[in-house]
Amino acid sequence: MTDTRSHFHEELESVEQALLGVADQAERMVEMAVDAFTEGDLAAADEVIALDSIIDQTYLDVHNRWMNLMARQQPMASDLRRMSMLLHMNTTLERMGDQTVNIAKMSHATAGLPRVDKIAEELREMGDLVRAMVRTGIEALVRRDADEARLLPAMDEPVDRLNRDMYQEVVRAGSDPERLEWAIKAMMVSRALERVGDQVVDIGEQLAFLLTGEMAEFDEAGLERGTDVQSS
Amino acid sequence: MRSETTDQTERRMNESPEQKVTIATEGFIPAEPTAEAVMRIKGMDVYYGDFRAVKEVSIDFARNEITALIGPSGCGKSTVLRSLNRMNDLIPTARVEGSVFFHDRDIYEAGVDPVEVRRRVGMVFQKPNPFPKSIYENVAWGARINGFKGKRGELDDLVEHALTQAALWDEVKDKLSDSGYSLSGGQQQRLCIARAVAPSPEVLLMDEPCSALDPIATLRIEELMMTLKQDYTIIIVTHNMQQAGRVSDRTAFFSVDVDDRGQRTGKLVEFDATDKIFTSPGQKETEDYITGRFG
Repeated sequence: MTDTRSHFHEELESVEQALLGVADQAERMVEMAVDAFTEGDLAAADEVIALDSIIDQTYLDVHNRWMNLMARQQPMASDLRRMSMLLHMNTTLERMGDQTVNIAKMSHATAGLPRVDKIAEELREMGDLVRAMVRTGIEALVRRDADEARLLPAMDEPVDRLNRDMYQEVVRAGSDPERLEWAIKAMMVSRALERVGDQVVDIGEQLAFLLTGEMAEFDEAGLERGTDVQSS
Repeated sequence: MRSETTDQTERRMNESPEQKVTIATEGFIPAEPTAEAVMRIKGMDVYYGDFRAVKEVSIDFARNEITALIGPSGCGKSTVLRSLNRMNDLIPTARVEGSVFFHDRDIYEAGVDPVEVRRRVGMVFQKPNPFPKSIYENVAWGARINGFKGKRGELDDLVEHALTQAALWDEVKDKLSDSGYSLSGGQQQRLCIARAVAPSPEVLLMDEPCSALDPIATLRIEELMMTLKQDYTIIIVTHNMQQAGRVSDRTAFFSVDVDDRGQRTGKLVEFDATDKIFTSPGQKETEDYITGRFG
């Protein structure tokens, strides 16, 4: 089949590849940020902050490219839905980067404080779960697999549960002010990881919209309302 | 196009070293300085008799870019386009004031052969206008009238090359002796593009090249233009603002001034990178036109 708009489609693909690169980087930043906080690795924290500036630059670059495409190319149908997904992804990934920076800053704020091992362990578990979600989101996107995207809410469930239970862990941290301060900051890290999980689910919803033409939020079972089988 | 080019001579315009130039800045937001300009209009007015059709136009056309001229009817964009290869000479009352440089030679200077100008600055018209000849002859004509003296095999190669550049070769290679009229509208326009590139011009002027074509044929021509700009500098007039957005690197927006006597004169409002014109133009008049708030 002849593509009579190959230059436009190549640019669309190029923008998507740039965002996939950001998603890949965001996954690594989640790992580094959690390590930075749970192990007090301030060098890793600084690296996360530095990497975020690259994400911010890509965000601006993609924003400009997206604007130019929208203004000049009049995208239609699946191209239009893809544009919608890319715009949403750009914003979401930039915020994911910001969340890892929040965690990195907490690492600095808690430098030298005694850690609570149980909480550190649960944060690492949350980090692993969230990274798996990011990886699943990337793979679903690359494979254009709506079913894989629909796995994300279920993957997000244990992240939400760990975040909800973090409050109890903080209460159990005891009365030592320094341990308590670390634990309270850990709650903020937990909250940041929970947000990243939600953001990956949002990207999955955008992918499902691209593939089905139906815009809906996933429920906990990963099902959108009113899906159809329209292909793109 | 036929009559003026059949009178081709061997004279060549004096070529001069290409200049690094910047975009003119009078009266509009300048684009970023470009690579070298192949053509430059400086302070040009065009008259038809006493009627000033276009006033004070200055634009640089950068090498290997597509520049779109857009604006409402009567804004003078086609007049400006035709001034770039002296097509206005064919209108007895037409007169150009100011300068139009091809490299650094003013093409309106005494002693410049307009036919040679048109060889270096080719043109594709609104309606496909193949000759009533074979596909092969339509393309070979351009080379022959420009004094091509090669052997038949070399001419074959030239025809194939031009048809390939025009993205038509695969569709016609087995029927080169068929009439040019046997082709579809979109194919005929690509045949005309092949004919235009056969004499190896540096600049291609396109005057509404897709206005007679259906949407798919239009997109094919647009894709072709994006490829052709690697070898040519392209200047296109289009009524289709979206087309200007899709294909061009820079856009010149023209509008009309109406004086007390009701006389309408075209003017250049803004010239800038197409990204800028279509997302954040510098002039309110451009913004109003782009967003449909005009008239």
